Amino acid sequence: MPTVVLLDSSLSMTRPVSVEGSEEFQRKNLAVHGLTMLFEHMATNYRLEFTSLVAFSSLWELLVPFSRDYNTLQEALNNLEDYDKTCLEAALQGVSNVVQQEWGTSCPCQVVLVTDGALGIGRGSLRHSLQTVKQRVDDKKFPLPFPFPSKLYVMCIANAEELQATDSMDNLEQLINLNGGEGQIYTMEGPLCLKSVQSMFGKLIDQAYSPFHAVLRCGNLTSDVQVFPRPEPVTIDEEVDPIPKTVQTEGDEIGTGATDDTEEETSTNQMAGKSPNFCVLLHGSLKVEGMVALVQLGPDWFGMLYSQADSKKKSNLMMSLFDPGSEPLPWLGRMSQLGPASDAAENPYGEDDSKSPFPIQPKHKRSYAQNVTVWIKASGLQTDVQKILRNAKKLPEKTQTFYKELNRLRKAALAFGFWELLKSVAELLERECTLLPDSAHPDAAFQLSHAAQQLKLASSGDSKYAVFEQNITPMLTDFSGGGGADRI
Amino acid sequence: MRIFSVSHKTAFVVDHCPYMAESSRQLIECDMLTKSRSQGVIPLAPVSKSLWTCAIECSMEYCRILYDVYPTKKLVNYIVSDSEVHILNSWKQENQNTQELMTALAAVGPPNPRQDPECCSVLHGLVAAVESLCKITEYQHESRTTLMDTADRVANRGRIICLTNAKSDTHVRMLEDCVLETIQEQNKRAAGSDRLMPIQQCELVLVHIYPQGEETLVSDRQKKELSSVLSSEVHSVRAGRYLAGKLNVLVQQHFDLASTTITNIPMKEEQHANTSANYDVELLHHRDAHIEFIKSGDLHMAGSTSRDSGLKETVTLKWCTPRTNSVELHYCTGAYRISPVDVNSRPSSCLTNFLLNGRSVLLEQPRKSGSKVISHMLSSHGGEIFLHVLNSTRSTLEDPPSISEGCGGRVTDYRITDFGEFMRENRLTPFPESMVDAACRTPVERAKFQLERHTRYWPMIISQTTIFNMQAVVPLANLIVKDTLTDEDVLTCQKTVYNLVDMERKSDPLPISTAGSRGKGPKRDEQYRIMWNELETLVKAHVGTSERHQRVLDCISACRSKPPEEEERKKRGRKREDKRTKEREDKEDKTEKNGKDTEEKGWTTDSERLKGVMEREKDEQSECEIIKDSPDSPEPLNKKPRLATEEQQPPEKSKGPVSLLTLWTNRITQANSRKHQEFAGRLSSVNSKAELYQHLKEENGMDVHENGKATR
Repeated sequence: MPTVVLLDSSLSMTRPVSVEGSEEFQRKNLAVHGLTMLFEHMATNYRLEFTSLVAFSSLWELLVPFSRDYNTLQEALNNLEDYDKTCLEAALQGVSNVVQQEWGTSCPCQVVLVTDGALGIGRGSLRHSLQTVKQRVDDKKFPLPFPFPSKLYVMCIANAEELQATDSMDNLEQLINLNGGEGQIYTMEGPLCLKSVQSMFGKLIDQAYSPFHAVLRCGNLTSDVQVFPRPEPVTIDEEVDPIPKTVQTEGDEIGTGATDDTEEETSTNQMAGKSPNFCVLLHGSLKVEGMVALVQLGPDWFGMLYSQADSKKKSNLMMSLFDPGSEPLPWLGRMSQLGPASDAAENPYGEDDSKSPFPIQPKHKRSYAQNVTVWIKASGLQTDVQKILRNAKKLPEKTQTFYKELNRLRKAALAFGFWELLKSVAELLERECTLLPDSAHPDAAFQLSHAAQQLKLASSGDSKYAVFEQNITPMLTDFSGGGGADRI
Repeated sequence: MRIFSVSHKTAFVVDHCPYMAESSRQLIECDMLTKSRSQGVIPLAPVSKSLWTCAIECSMEYCRILYDVYPTKKLVNYIVSDSEVHILNSWKQENQNTQELMTALAAVGPPNPRQDPECCSVLHGLVAAVESLCKITEYQHESRTTLMDTADRVANRGRIICLTNAKSDTHVRMLEDCVLETIQEQNKRAAGSDRLMPIQQCELVLVHIYPQGEETLVSDRQKKELSSVLSSEVHSVRAGRYLAGKLNVLVQQHFDLASTTITNIPMKEEQHANTSANYDVELLHHRDAHIEFIKSGDLHMAGSTSRDSGLKETVTLKWCTPRTNSVELHYCTGAYRISPVDVNSRPSSCLTNFLLNGRSVLLEQPRKSGSKVISHMLSSHGGEIFLHVLNSTRSTLEDPPSISEGCGGRVTDYRITDFGEFMRENRLTPFPESMVDAACRTPVERAKFQLERHTRYWPMIISQTTIFNMQAVVPLANLIVKDTLTDEDVLTCQKTVYNLVDMERKSDPLPISTAGSRGKGPKRDEQYRIMWNELETLVKAHVGTSERHQRVLDCISACRSKPPEEEERKKRGRKREDKRTKEREDKEDKTEKNGKDTEEKGWTTDSERLKGVMEREKDEQSECEIIKDSPDSPEPLNKKPRLATEEQQPPEKSKGPVSLLTLWTNRITQANSRKHQEFAGRLSSVNSKAELYQHLKEENGMDVHENGKATR
């Protein structure tokens, strides 16, 4: 989840903080101090996170585009200048644009807004924005909710009392609500000082930037792992099952499939590199064999592990999470029904690895995989009639296909209650019979009139002849030389 | 994301009254004159579908698309109404397919125009539809049973699609009122029943069908709430393709579908095989496959409007001719089932067959300028085609650290191939639902259990293991992890052990890693000690599994050269050993003779003879042994003259630091020259297989039972 730090650099941020002590701080200094702490945390414990820094006042500026280089971010933070008034709406719009340009709209992002809670006056103030939020035309919509999944964290360099004295707190809460409730407001406890800003950012870190440690387990082989990006809880059905599912920190590996992760706070860096690690072994074998491992992340929640290489040939163990549920991939079937291949009576992979029990075929074929009859367009019906006539001309050689096509048409016509068509096709066949050239095989005439007669009987709706499952069979004739005696 | 939304249950009510037999007046020419046809033949009159036929084929098309995109959990109950109600299927999942509906429809047949119109009405069907919506589906039942206390979270909603020919707006209102009343009635009934649920929300979609060329008597009406439970909308549509278009739009609205048109599909012409033209195919799928376009607001940029129905939108994506054998993995963020709009048209079936044959097609966003952006992929899995959404923007997963930078990354001798083999042995396969083993474990639990067994002793790196580097151990290592062993398996394991004993006797080199130790590494006997210890560790890990596993361990304990403590003692005592040899031999001879029982008779003689050979050997070897042994070896503290059983002696001797070649040559020469007769006798007494164990008998007298079995 990439992070955008949206830092208020309006003039109000330069207000001094009243502290008894030697040094005098501005609110801005406290904000920078807090962010420095956040960046340091990320640089050590969360170093794969992409972070960008946007400063705003009445205008906004992208100071650092998304980067994992926390030195650059820190440097930009240290060189921050002071500008004019706070104008949050434009800045949020800016954040929305920056994120969409870089990550599109499906990548979840975290927005950390750092402000003193003085949210502007008059036009462009948050209050004004929120008052007019319902009267927007399409192209001037309020930027929240963001088009991408997001969390909006508001870090107030102010304490709750201060914010509640004005309508700032209300406005900020409204902001979170506009984002679908996704986010949180943090305020400082006690006097504004370095210590309280630290504790506030500490809470944010615990909430949003705690690394995800887990144990990957394959029977008795285990490995402590950190998963990045952090798997977030998912709600499957807010009505039936409103509690978000969280990834268990214990993973079980199941054959061509699975691993669980368990929560354990072990320091994994002690023996850096030198002692054998199951992850490396698993990765190596998955890569060599071209296999994936299934991993169980919780009850009815699975994912897969595989070796993923980038363009520079650096590869790592990657975990993809499936949708929670008992059957996330239809062609694997129900996950709980996957068992060891060695339990099967016959090796489903074949003795020489030439077979696979996957993919599982669905019980009913999809419409495009079966020869369905659709006559919604006239051309569909015409094609089907033409097919019959084409084969009729080649009787008796094409007896089989002739009756196959004829029966397909008959079935559809019966189901659709389209008896008129049956009569019409019967007439066509009768006419075809009269048009037969002298050289035609005598069987052709018999089959055509037999087929025509059967269609006519079916079109009468007589329960004896209009049975859906019953097919018209070729007439048995004495011309054994032809295909006439062939059964369908 | 709610499973029990309005679209969980759809009740189709199709009017089967006499007036539905009326012609739609859409004429279809089915006597297409071909060039070869002779002149003067009068073409047959065109046919036209009845209102009924139009209603049926369009509703079937609705179901076809629905079942293609949602094979489960979206259910249809099909009801036909005339003077009575014909319910063609149930909510059961097994009834949800078009073939079954077609069969049932054929049995109903077209409306009978001569039936008394007075006693026919679509009302019967609507009442039946409401009753049916109250019936609990298997999914609702399952959810309610699993939720227990919170079973009330399972909602009961549904939709009624009524295809009819109404008389007027008043008639429509009458139908609506009837549905509303029935819902109220049925809800009261359902409240007191276990198998019924009151309807919480119902959407009534009335489609008035009238013949072409006529004025409609019923006006369209947007969705309107008639009560807190019931909402209703009215569509007045001409029969024929207008109706088809309308139901196509409805199925998209009802099931959150969206349309993608694949453009630029190159297709060989039927007539001219060497030319190809470009075709378009329209597919329907869940609209989440377009989420990126919808959210970023460039739906219009990416798409155009569909040709068939001016109303609905389709996103146009360009076919990218697939590269052969490309096994690229893409960042796929979702896969959605598709259904072609025009399923049996030639371009559609060409595309779907291409995909069903296992090929994939990448789809590109048409852009006037800039680089090409691949946003989707079409591919099939198990006979179902899916539209895959690919990530076309920057990925947060880019530039991941290499695994070699992490923990254990610098270890180079992982047993990669062995683990590959391990993975292949632990591959998964689907089992039928009913298959539960004796302990009521699901297959996936059994898989985990198997992993647990297979990893009880599994060294990860080559230098940590000896036995897994030895081909000779493979049969045992493969068997011992099994949940149950057969007698034959035990036998194979024992053979493996005997084979190892034989190797040890022959002092075959072992693949012991010398990494980390200076010089040549441990001595041969030390190597074997390590090997035996490791083998014991492996087998001990499984000893609790069954009695037969225990037998394998027993065999190892019995056969292995020395228990470790003795090995220790032996090492210290070696220096003295030779001096005492003579004395010991005498003693042992006595003990042996005393302890001999009938069973042992057969082999003691043999070993006694062999002992003679060994003694002579020893005399020859004793000198070099002393030289080779460490001069720092402490004197044995209190080496008791032990009652050594003779079977341990020969290996002890054979393990002396004489080169294998010398030892062997000496042995063979001596045996051949002096014991020639005996050798021949031995050969004649046992079959060829037992020849291996013949040595064992000599070396490990205790194994006489096992040996006996082997030959049996």
